[in-house]
Amino acid sequence: MDLNSTSMNKLKSFLAYFFAISTIIAFIAYVAIKQASDFSLEPFYIYRFMIFDGIKNTILVSLISLVGSLIVGFILYLLQISKIKYFKALIDVFTEIIYGTPLLVLIIVMAFLIGPAFNSYQRNFFGVLALIVYMSPYMTNVYKSAFSSISEEQYLAMDLFGFTSFQRYRYIIIPQVVRILMPPLMNNFSMIIKGSALLNLISYNELYFVINVAQSRTFAFVEGYILMWVLYLLITIPLSQLTKFVERKWAL
Amino acid sequence: MKLELRNLSHSYDVEVIHDLNFILENYKSIAIIGVSGSGKSTLIRLMSGLEKPSIGNIFINDKSVDDIEYKQHVGFVFQNHNLFPHLSLKRNITLILEKTREKTKEEAESIAIKYLHMLHLETQVNKLPKNVSGGQAQRASIARALSIDPKIIYLDEPTASLDPILTHEVLTAVEELKGLGKEFVFVTHVLSFVRDFADYVIFMHDGLIYEHGTPEILDKPKTIQLSEFMRKVR
Repeated sequence: MDLNSTSMNKLKSFLAYFFAISTIIAFIAYVAIKQASDFSLEPFYIYRFMIFDGIKNTILVSLISLVGSLIVGFILYLLQISKIKYFKALIDVFTEIIYGTPLLVLIIVMAFLIGPAFNSYQRNFFGVLALIVYMSPYMTNVYKSAFSSISEEQYLAMDLFGFTSFQRYRYIIIPQVVRILMPPLMNNFSMIIKGSALLNLISYNELYFVINVAQSRTFAFVEGYILMWVLYLLITIPLSQLTKFVERKWAL
Repeated sequence: MKLELRNLSHSYDVEVIHDLNFILENYKSIAIIGVSGSGKSTLIRLMSGLEKPSIGNIFINDKSVDDIEYKQHVGFVFQNHNLFPHLSLKRNITLILEKTREKTKEEAESIAIKYLHMLHLETQVNKLPKNVSGGQAQRASIARALSIDPKIIYLDEPTASLDPILTHEVLTAVEELKGLGKEFVFVTHVLSFVRDFADYVIFMHDGLIYEHGTPEILDKPKTIQLSEFMRKVR
């Protein structure tokens, strides 16, 4: 009886998701067919390698930004918990400014103002740097919550049993922090991937940019935008599903 | 065991233990009772060496509680199990034995299994703390305290966060340990357990020891504070 009702529930929720996804696809299809010309992805076929490259670059630049913001975020975290008031103040001010700045503006400021001020015209570098800087305060928060989730009592227990500081980090603190860190980190990765679309502003060859280029050659704007949208979803939705899985599996 | 408190005071923001001087000898199972904020948890933490007193000293069996040798043989059971949440019940024990007590993997494993069995956790050894009941987790933490072969086991309100049924389950498990030849010091609100298990009772109030003696003092309180306490706890 119990087994029946759980499998019944599973079936119900499967059907619910099936119809929900169908609804959305129907909506997209409606939008596509309501456009002036006939919907066809064929013109993009010859640009497929360029588009693959764009996807590759989007993922590459997102990974670099993820690692970069993890490192910068950790440094900010260390400065924030330091006893020197100036550092704490600096991080607070910096965080406020970043929170208040649209990513679009930050990329422009970085690539066209800050870069040249230091005699550098490496726009791609400064574009990625903008993404890193933009994400760092979010990463700092992730570190903050991960480290604070290890209770005072656990530290007492570590004292009691006489673990050395290396052993504490290696066997007790870091394994817990990593588990707690992972889901919000993956959410941030998804934010980075979406944010990287703005790098088209500085003509970086990522997904948005390459499809723009293809559109201007094929004049298939509608198809291009829909293709672009779906491709982003193909990257971000599996990622968010994976995040949910990790969250369930690793919860403490 | 022999317990000696010398000019013992301790403060956090305010002073919670006021200049205690006390000597006790030849008891094996000491209960510390009192209302919340009486300083009993602080006293047990100081005795175990978990915290350092602001002023004064504590000697257990003529050894200062700062002594490294003493600290190696202290078992402590916290209010809520305080197992490391990312490790299985067994790993919570073997990690300590391997890394801080120089046991080999095999030795650690067999010690862990021995004590987890003793506390009736045969079927739970590989589970994470979050996947067992509060009572089971607390029993695992008692097994963890036993695994380092302590001379004295301190229990700081081990059932404070458990319901009556789990409380009974945990305290019964503790009573079964009587035959191990260990000494116990414990803080609890469960008076039936004090009567069954303690051979000496210390009653604290406002950071002072108001009464102490064999468990019979519970039936004939001499101070208003203890009779008030007995009335409230019952």
